[in-house]
Amino acid sequence: MGDRLTKLAISDEGFIFDPETGNSYTTNPTGLLILRMLKEGKGEEEIVKALTEEFGAEEEEARRDLYDFLEQLRAYGLVEGV
Amino acid sequence: MIRVAVSGINAVDNPGPGVGIAKGIRESGLEVEIYGLAYDSMDPGIYMKWLFSRSFIIPYPSEGEEVFLQRLLYIKHNYGLDVLVSALDAELPLLIKAADRLQTYGIRTFLPTYEQFKLRAKDRLPEVAERIGVKVPETRVVSSYEELVKATNDLGFPVMVKGIFYKAKRAYNVGEATAHFNEIVSEWGYPVIVQKVVQGEEMNVVGLGDGEGGHYGLVAIKKLWITSLGKIWTGVTVHNENLLKATERFVGEFKWRGGFEFECIVSGEDIYLIEINPRFPAWVYFSAGVGVNLPARLLKAALGLDVERDWDYEAGKLYVRYTDDLVADMAMFQSIVLKGEV
Repeated sequence: MGDRLTKLAISDEGFIFDPETGNSYTTNPTGLLILRMLKEGKGEEEIVKALTEEFGAEEEEARRDLYDFLEQLRAYGLVEGV
Repeated sequence: MIRVAVSGINAVDNPGPGVGIAKGIRESGLEVEIYGLAYDSMDPGIYMKWLFSRSFIIPYPSEGEEVFLQRLLYIKHNYGLDVLVSALDAELPLLIKAADRLQTYGIRTFLPTYEQFKLRAKDRLPEVAERIGVKVPETRVVSSYEELVKATNDLGFPVMVKGIFYKAKRAYNVGEATAHFNEIVSEWGYPVIVQKVVQGEEMNVVGLGDGEGGHYGLVAIKKLWITSLGKIWTGVTVHNENLLKATERFVGEFKWRGGFEFECIVSGEDIYLIEINPRFPAWVYFSAGVGVNLPARLLKAALGLDVERDWDYEAGKLYVRYTDDLVADMAMFQSIVLKGEV
């Protein structure tokens, strides 16, 4: 996981500030959970499991959401090739 | 009581840095009286009595050194004057040249050297960038329409068309590039700089060099919102290690003395140097607001006092500029028009 992600300031309300670029973002509770787990260095399976438990999603749907979200993070340059 | 004169008090839509500098100096903890130096009787700072206890109209630097210095000596003789903080590029060559004379008159400054001042010319940026290990956008220096067209062919669109000191406009085709070229030539003359547009985050650093390779603090920001004139309206502090290290290399390599603004585009790991301003920018109060009071530190450096060097500011602090208005008596306007002071 990139150094960039570990530096992000993430608030409980889902507001994210990147101190290196000055960019800020907002995300929903699903994105917030994923970001926090990525920051803690958690892997795909752990995150998918947490998503199904926390939000009652099917595993396949949770995995698809995770992939979509990672794609967005990559587009913003916040993660590199996870 | 320390008496300080500050120029650039034109807090208009293209604001000078004087009002921000005065705000910082007011928070210095020193016992100060601040005078505003204005070129126009409508400069808003004249009417901000809570910042500038007195204001004076000063002659344009183009009228010559003697006239300019006589005006400063008039102020010194009648009201006392210990330090002059210059905030405008147009004054700097004159003041840099006259700094020793001013010092003998008891008026202190803290200015860059003339050699340092000359680094602000955009055709000098590639040399500066090379010496401090950063990049510059691919650049052509042009002085004719034929050279302009060749430059745009080489670089591809979009390009930035810039005056050597002022103005920068983006062009997406030859028609736009030609229009910008003509406008810049008519206002600022030749040569004109044509630059490839670099994608990335526009970030700026304000700093104060000690003249020996070190500095009294740096604050890096990203502009979030700019006006149609390209002036910052809102911004946010950032901690970008690469950018701050590049700025420290700049200060170290050129032994920069005085205030400066280091403008860059940050693209991943790459830093592209866009502009160096040899004085504080108009948003310099942001530094004071985040605990690195650079105007106050410059005043202390000019006075030869001990100057703080800590610059541990927080990333994510917001700068918000706003419009305001005030009401003044006609007597003030009358005094500045008729007597040149109020």
